Amino acid sequence: MRKFSLVEFSVDHPKLVVILTLIVTLAFMTQFPKMRTDTNPKNMLPATSDVRVWNDEVEKTFGLYEDMMALGVVNEKGILNPDTLGKIKKITDEVLKIKGVAARDVSSFTTIDNVTVDNGTLSVAPLMMEAPRDRKGIESLRKTLYDNPLFINRIISGDGKTTAIYIPLEKGSNGKEIADRIRRIISKEKGDEKYYIAGDPVARDTFGAEMFKLMAVFAPIAGMMMFFVRYLMFRDFFLSATLMMDAMISIVWSMGLLIGLGFPIHIMSSMAPVFLMAIATDSIHIFNEFYFRYGETKDKRKAIIETMRAVSRPVRYTALATAAGFSVLMFMNIVPVKVFGGLVAFGTISLRLLSFSFIPAMFVFVKEQKIAKIAGSEDTSMGKASRFLKTLTGFGVHHPKNTVFVGLILLVIAVIGLTKIVVNNNLVEWFKKGNEVRVADSVMNKALGGTSLGYVVAIAKDDGYIKTPEAMRYIEGLQRRLEKLSVVGKTTSVVDYVRRINRVLHDDDPKYDVVPETREMIGQYLFLFSMSAKPSDLDNVVDYPFKRANIWVQLKTWDSEAMKNVIEAVDDYKKSNPTPMEMKPAGIAYFNLVWNHEVLWDTIKGFVLALIVVFGILAFDFHSIKWAIVGYTPLLFTILLIYGVVGFTLKHLDMPMLVLSTLSLGMAVDFAIHFVSRLRQRLKEAPGEPLADALLWTAARPGKGIMRNAILFAASFAVMIFSPLTPYITVGAFIIGMMLLSAIMTLIYLPALVTLMQGWLFKGGSK
Amino acid sequence: MRRLILGIAVVFLLSQSTSASASSLTADEVMKKSQAAFLYQGKDFRARVMMKLITKGGQERVREMAMMRKNYGESGGEQKYFIYFFQPADVKDMTFMVYKYPGKDADRWLFIPAINMVRRIAAKDKYSSFVGSDFTYEDVSGRNLEDDTHSIVKDAQYNGKDCYVVKSTPKAADMEYSYKLSWIDKISFLPLKEEYFDTREELYKVFTADEIKDIKGFPTITKRTMKNLQSGHMTQAAYLQADYDIGMEDSLFSERYLKQPPKKWIE
Repeated sequence: MRKFSLVEFSVDHPKLVVILTLIVTLAFMTQFPKMRTDTNPKNMLPATSDVRVWNDEVEKTFGLYEDMMALGVVNEKGILNPDTLGKIKKITDEVLKIKGVAARDVSSFTTIDNVTVDNGTLSVAPLMMEAPRDRKGIESLRKTLYDNPLFINRIISGDGKTTAIYIPLEKGSNGKEIADRIRRIISKEKGDEKYYIAGDPVARDTFGAEMFKLMAVFAPIAGMMMFFVRYLMFRDFFLSATLMMDAMISIVWSMGLLIGLGFPIHIMSSMAPVFLMAIATDSIHIFNEFYFRYGETKDKRKAIIETMRAVSRPVRYTALATAAGFSVLMFMNIVPVKVFGGLVAFGTISLRLLSFSFIPAMFVFVKEQKIAKIAGSEDTSMGKASRFLKTLTGFGVHHPKNTVFVGLILLVIAVIGLTKIVVNNNLVEWFKKGNEVRVADSVMNKALGGTSLGYVVAIAKDDGYIKTPEAMRYIEGLQRRLEKLSVVGKTTSVVDYVRRINRVLHDDDPKYDVVPETREMIGQYLFLFSMSAKPSDLDNVVDYPFKRANIWVQLKTWDSEAMKNVIEAVDDYKKSNPTPMEMKPAGIAYFNLVWNHEVLWDTIKGFVLALIVVFGILAFDFHSIKWAIVGYTPLLFTILLIYGVVGFTLKHLDMPMLVLSTLSLGMAVDFAIHFVSRLRQRLKEAPGEPLADALLWTAARPGKGIMRNAILFAASFAVMIFSPLTPYITVGAFIIGMMLLSAIMTLIYLPALVTLMQGWLFKGGSK
Repeated sequence: MRRLILGIAVVFLLSQSTSASASSLTADEVMKKSQAAFLYQGKDFRARVMMKLITKGGQERVREMAMMRKNYGESGGEQKYFIYFFQPADVKDMTFMVYKYPGKDADRWLFIPAINMVRRIAAKDKYSSFVGSDFTYEDVSGRNLEDDTHSIVKDAQYNGKDCYVVKSTPKAADMEYSYKLSWIDKISFLPLKEEYFDTREELYKVFTADEIKDIKGFPTITKRTMKNLQSGHMTQAAYLQADYDIGMEDSLFSERYLKQPPKKWIE
């Protein structure tokens, strides 16, 4: 009742309501300049999550950098020539001067330490001080490179065509600025060399830029699309604009609130404007009904209030269902998903508030003749579109058994598809093929050790244990085992340094490229290494008390499951080779694995929650569990069908797609609510009408609203297909399919089920 | 009486020299005096050095060693260093020897007891870390004054002491630092603080003299810290025992003693 008075108040004081709405909107808009994005994947999980706490500890213990870029240099004729080497030196010198680069730990030909022995004299020097000018110099460099396993697949590829400069960044430095400086440096170089910039900071910034694009370019385009489609439907500029404003206002409110509360924009929340735009289309039911009512009563004020009375219940419950569907996300562990859920739930509620105030107020401003004209055209057009809808529903009403049978066959196929689904978040594959980030990543992965980094931390019980020959041999054996995995490109550990020193001390005799026999030797070699090399080289692989060793595992793919293979291999190795050391995985690759599992479990949890909540809302709205079940079935069917298709077509299911499964429930349920509510209303309003006719009427009248809603929804998401980021594309395509399919399913299967089960449904006359 | 006169004379001379230096010393002279006070005091010098390597996260490693140094000639001239390691335990008996020459690269040797082997170490990488600490080889044994151009930037106080602030810029295009500022005490000529600026002209390393004691009349820095501001790592070095002019024989600085250092010097 309270809402009702809001409608009347709005109709009686339209100007006040519109002005108030605009003032509130402006207030939210003032928050926009504070907007910041967060594209760091690790923020998917809260900072207090076990995996992040552990990863932070590992980073601190081993002095590891959070952010590292790699500049790949490729020359098809081989990089070991005076010209290319000269360029490498020049570029490295320039890179070292960039502010924000941790210059002391940049690895390149001219900065990486090379321990050698010459006539009994140990020497530690950068691998290359100046580019060699003659053949002899080149050959000796080639020998040095390929004699040292620490260099192969790190700074020189097996085929000699690729090198990489590894550029760690100081904490808090701007990855994009640094990447741009590097781009400027390489743009000055001419010649056969090709350059590739890879690494997290680059990917993150590219992602951030795309996110802004999605919000600042794609969302407005989606708005225009919907505006245009709506105009085609109603031929009224003013009302199309009203609906558009309705959507825009709710977007400004929710984004303003999000930014005002200090949340950064993440991949999920960047999609929120498009979602809200689509959800706003639910108001179409109000317009739909308004024109019908006006055609009947010819009194604007009465038509408005009657319309609101007729649609208020379904509109309120659909909003509730949608908001509930999104709020379920707030129970998840993935931070951006949580925020997104809250954001859209708030936006949906704002939209409904506007539906009962702003929209009726705006109706007042429309000229009566204009409404009459549209209402008239609504009647004629009802012929065409509604006949189609009636035909659609006719299938269900007249051949319910066949319809359900076909449905069951589809269901079986869908379930087969479902079993093919693999959950995987490959952040690099979030970029389209051909994108700079993805190309750089694949070039480096092909030539060098692998860009995705995981760690296996060996933890001993006692200080100094890592220096024992047992520990060393154990780690060495584990490395060889891991390197057999197809996903592993290269492993590095303290053992590699010890072996290197052993060999160098013995006049570079390959026979000594082994773990030394005694603990004293190992201790002294490590000490010698710390006297000669950059201290960080050693710190990265072993902790201060020599209790923990860090094995670097470079993976050739960002697939989350790659690290799972590593962990399994470690466990396997441990089983057949007992050790007092504990082996714990860490690093970004491990984080991705944990996060991936977290997403999967969250989704299952969320989906079940959404199922219950949405069912509860349906049952409450319909005051009947039976009707809730009937309304629910086409919905579930649609979701299974869509994910079945996903299982057949997509290789992997990633986070946004998983999250959608939960949301789609809350969004698609709208159609069932509208259909069932209006059907039952019709049955009440026109007693004695045969059920089949009531069904057909529902298909023709609110059914038209449902189709319009679905088409608008689809239209707004269609723009996302043009995004360069794959999650946006799949989400766009998914929603389009989902909306159109669920509208059609509602119109075919709901009537079929109602017809089949009328005995059960209407038992006891509970119409 | 005679002693008193002598004392007055010394005081007078000293005050003369300080007042003169305040007005007329050039940067090169300041650095020369500083080098003598910092690295060439006495005929020879011995200390038990305790080094603590501390990471940003607070992890510590200890290096304990006996350090012997003997001068051959003037300040800035030839020097020999002998270092014996007590800690970490697994490097006990390891020794390290440096022959430092004016105007040319030093010779360095290392004895690795586990394989009973002496290896020469090339001097190319002067900026390599000394035993994993934040001190470089050069910080330990000093740098040839002629390798830099020096200028007095200003006079300033540091910890209440009047100092010259000298800017030293390497003549060679160096990768390690672009210049260094030294706060040189006007009385003792010890460096109280040094700031190292990297090639981007950002301050990245700071040396501080944390404790100065008078040993046999020589003001000596007995506690010092080198802190790397970029990595957050730092090294504290303390002289547990230090003594000058103890009559070290030349034979100590030989390959034979590298392998078997005489007990009396390394206790």
